[in-house]
Amino acid sequence: MGANSLIDALVVNPAVIMTVGAVLCIFVPSALRRVFMLAFVAASAFQLYKLGLGEFGAVTLFGETLTTVRVDRLARLFGIVFHIAAALNIIYAWHEKDRAQSFATIAYPAAALGGVLAGDMITLFVWWELAAITSVFFVWAPGTRSTYLAGMRYLAIQVLSGVLLLGGVVLVFRDTGSFAFGEIGLRDPSGAIKISGLVLFLAFGIKCAFPLLHNWVQDAYPKSTLSGTIVLSIFTTKLAVYSLARAFPGTHELIYIGAVMTLFPIFFALIENDLRKVLCYSINNQVGFMVVGIGVGTAAAMNGAVGYAFSNIIFESLLFMSLSAAMYRTGSSKATDLGGLYKSMPLTMTFCMIAALSIAAFPFFAGFVTKGLIIDGVAGEHMFWIWLVMLFASAGVLEHAGIKIPYFTFFAHDSGKRVKEAPPMMLAAMSVAAVLCIGIGVWPEPLYALLPYQDQIAGYEPYTPWHIIEQLQLLLFAILAFALLIAWKWYPAEVPSVNLDTDWFYRIPGRNLLAWIAGATRALWNVMWSVIFRRVEVIIGRIYLVHGPEGQLARSWPIGFMALWTAIVLGAVLIITFIA
Amino acid sequence: MSGLISQLPVLPVITPLIAAPLTLLLPKGRVPWAWATIVSWLTFAASAALLHNVATNGVVSYHLGDWAPPLGIEYRIDLANALVLFLVSGIAAIVFPFAYESVRSETDNRQSSLFYGAMQICLAGMLGVTITGDAFNVFVFLEISSLSTYALVAMGARRDRRALTAAFNYLVMGTIGATFFVIGIGLLYQATGTLNMADLHLRLAGQDNRVIEAGFAFIVVGIGLKAAMFPMHLWLPNAYTYAPSVVTAFIAATATKVAVYVLVRFFYSIFSPDFAFMQATFAYVLLPLGVIGMFVASLVAVFQADVKRMLAYSSVAQIGYMLLGVSLGTKAGLAAALVHVFNHALIKGALFMSVACVVLRLGSHANEAFQGLGRRMPVTTGAFILSGLSLVGAPATVGFISKWYLLKATFEVGHWGVSFLIVASSLISLIYIGRIIEMMVLREPPESGPLSAPIKEAPMSMLIPMWVLVAANVYFGLQTDLTGGIASAAADALMTVGGAR
Repeated sequence: MGANSLIDALVVNPAVIMTVGAVLCIFVPSALRRVFMLAFVAASAFQLYKLGLGEFGAVTLFGETLTTVRVDRLARLFGIVFHIAAALNIIYAWHEKDRAQSFATIAYPAAALGGVLAGDMITLFVWWELAAITSVFFVWAPGTRSTYLAGMRYLAIQVLSGVLLLGGVVLVFRDTGSFAFGEIGLRDPSGAIKISGLVLFLAFGIKCAFPLLHNWVQDAYPKSTLSGTIVLSIFTTKLAVYSLARAFPGTHELIYIGAVMTLFPIFFALIENDLRKVLCYSINNQVGFMVVGIGVGTAAAMNGAVGYAFSNIIFESLLFMSLSAAMYRTGSSKATDLGGLYKSMPLTMTFCMIAALSIAAFPFFAGFVTKGLIIDGVAGEHMFWIWLVMLFASAGVLEHAGIKIPYFTFFAHDSGKRVKEAPPMMLAAMSVAAVLCIGIGVWPEPLYALLPYQDQIAGYEPYTPWHIIEQLQLLLFAILAFALLIAWKWYPAEVPSVNLDTDWFYRIPGRNLLAWIAGATRALWNVMWSVIFRRVEVIIGRIYLVHGPEGQLARSWPIGFMALWTAIVLGAVLIITFIA
Repeated sequence: MSGLISQLPVLPVITPLIAAPLTLLLPKGRVPWAWATIVSWLTFAASAALLHNVATNGVVSYHLGDWAPPLGIEYRIDLANALVLFLVSGIAAIVFPFAYESVRSETDNRQSSLFYGAMQICLAGMLGVTITGDAFNVFVFLEISSLSTYALVAMGARRDRRALTAAFNYLVMGTIGATFFVIGIGLLYQATGTLNMADLHLRLAGQDNRVIEAGFAFIVVGIGLKAAMFPMHLWLPNAYTYAPSVVTAFIAATATKVAVYVLVRFFYSIFSPDFAFMQATFAYVLLPLGVIGMFVASLVAVFQADVKRMLAYSSVAQIGYMLLGVSLGTKAGLAAALVHVFNHALIKGALFMSVACVVLRLGSHANEAFQGLGRRMPVTTGAFILSGLSLVGAPATVGFISKWYLLKATFEVGHWGVSFLIVASSLISLIYIGRIIEMMVLREPPESGPLSAPIKEAPMSMLIPMWVLVAANVYFGLQTDLTGGIASAAADALMTVGGAR
């Protein structure tokens, strides 16, 4: 490998520009830091634009050519929205002076961007791990013991994903002899599951928060700072979505996984009192839609999945931003503590409504023009049940994200809190995001022009009567259901209950059985571990004894011992050579 | 000048060998150090010229005193030993200038000319072992370097009396190793009537009897002991821990590497893979002992309360990697071992040099001395962290290159289990290095006791050589033509030329 080609590869990479900016911004005085950060995001965006489509930054490492930067339509779409999101986050958290968080606000998106642009799996692995390491600063940012521990748990899971990724890369290399990051697939042509594919699938699945692998989201994200949660909610899961779209398009297992992902968070979101946790559940649910689209794998569904990822990043962060603004002023995210804020924070309320309408996929908002693509893709493959699940899940989204968040934050019972409107820079970030939400909804052509499968999207028309009626029926029934539940006081929220903080797993039917299994497993694990641990300690203790504590060096036995070992080895070698 | 060029092969050995006794005539103080430094640089220049010469013109054969081999002693330099010569003299050229302040504070100043004299003899011995093409000559030079090393280790006694015991143990064990080695050579001589390596190779071909097998076993064990092959490594931790810091940095980076080289040389230039017993030794001795050593020594390192000792155990583990590479018996494996010989010297040299800086300022290499070091000696801490990451195998450092070559070699032969073990043991090294980095960066300095006194950063005379070596860790991590390229070519030559002679 020439050092020059490596330097060229580094210079050409937009993600490296952002990473350099992240490191440098630590040394910039806090008054100028945010401007400085924006400049680097802009420079990176310009570099991405200047590169155009193609492959760059080839590095030959030990005889394998690595493509460190690959801009194709799929990668470019994610690259663009990551830049937008990074810029919005910087503006939103303009007041934030903390160096570690400022660093992470740009280093973490840079890592995610680098992963999206990686053309080979070695580069992907490097950025994958960087994304894990840079993002944990947000979890640690509040600086309490519980966030420290949550951060460690988060890091452990993220690094586990990275280790699996590396293992998968090695296995894929064994199968194919190439590090190129392209379609891998879960099954080989004969239909048997490939180990290499499965390991990679799990690595992506962890970051994507597949059901049962998802707990780290609800564990770590709500514990971050106000602005930190917003940044966290965007990048990790979307990097995983991108990776799935790259490696496992049309893998049918993803359809069922995605369907479960869209469904299960709805129930937990409904009874959750902490609105930030509600939103974190909605991340799972939203990513579920994308996963289903990738699983279907037709051109239409893939377009829908990645297009939905694009618009979701914008409206989901707008939703987080407006809720965080309310929290910033009131200091609480509990539904029981909020309410009635529409009088004090009318602008924030408006933005929240726009985000809610987008996530619920109302016509003329960003969610509608992209979610329709996925649902159509499913319907196009005649998957009736999945289609039904997705419709139901859409209604559920409306229920918890579209109605619950704005309703309990800004309306519902008046909490009596009278606070100031959100700070101007927060409003600025939110207004840009809101404009994008409406802009994409009304005028989707630019987004459609960016989608990977242009042939399919060419004749697509989002605003057909059938689309609109289908969606409106759904939305109206969901609203009706919510109104009835509220009117009959059956709606299960606004209870400051503790059960909502415990793990959801124990609340489903058969909890006793599960608890017993969990307990037994844990006990077994503990016993096994303690045995192993004791063994290891004993072994180490013995070795330590063999090597002699330092005070006993003066004794003569170590020499005899060493000589004995030498004799034993000599004997062994003699026997082996004689026999051979 | 052309006369000097034709004598080039002998210069790396003869320069320090003649300069060493002259050192004793010099006055105490700074002069012996300056003299040794100049000698080390001249030696390095000669070795570099030799490497260049061999790389462009091929194998060099030099007849000592114009006595033709096989009767006379032959210096035979191919890429493999040119690389090791370059490495050993290069480490000397960095460690010698580094030594002054550290040696002044750790040893008796009245012995400074003796100290530097011994260092030069040690250097001459190791270079002689590497360069020679005569099996008995290997033994002679091995003893020259070992004897001076025993004396050097014992010089740590001014700081810690336990150095005397450590040196004594090392002396006994080293002598056992040397005796085994010379017994092995004697057996070969009995079977063939020659001592020249090339000649031995020719005459051994086709012979496979008990005498040769026994000779082989004695040589493997004797050199294995010198290389600190697990479980014959027990002399090493104490010798490294209690020797003066500079001596540790020098021998940790060179002595065991030279022994590994000798092992490789004997395997391929004297014996050949055609012998069934060699394959058996690879599969049933070197491979298992290498792997066990990687794990056991790394685990022991995790529990150490002393950084120098921890690094010493880590060296034992790293020897395991080299033996593992050799034991694969493939070209890629051999190249990986040679690459790791080179790279590990850079890594351990830099690590032990940073420990030397800490000992100079704090007078201790216990773990507590490293607490909060990031704020007290940031430059030294930086060097330790970078070279520590290199030890673990972080990308863009030489450690990564080593692991990469090794993994590739194991993939090639399909030893998946072994590749897994390599990665797993790297993780253990992450634990013990991470533990020290955590202490240096995240903890507060001790608040009371002798270690709490305010301290300065190490002097420039130490920082500059140390950072040169750290920079080499990164440079050779990015620029692998020299190490990877030459090591592959050397492995190629060792495995093919052997048969052609």
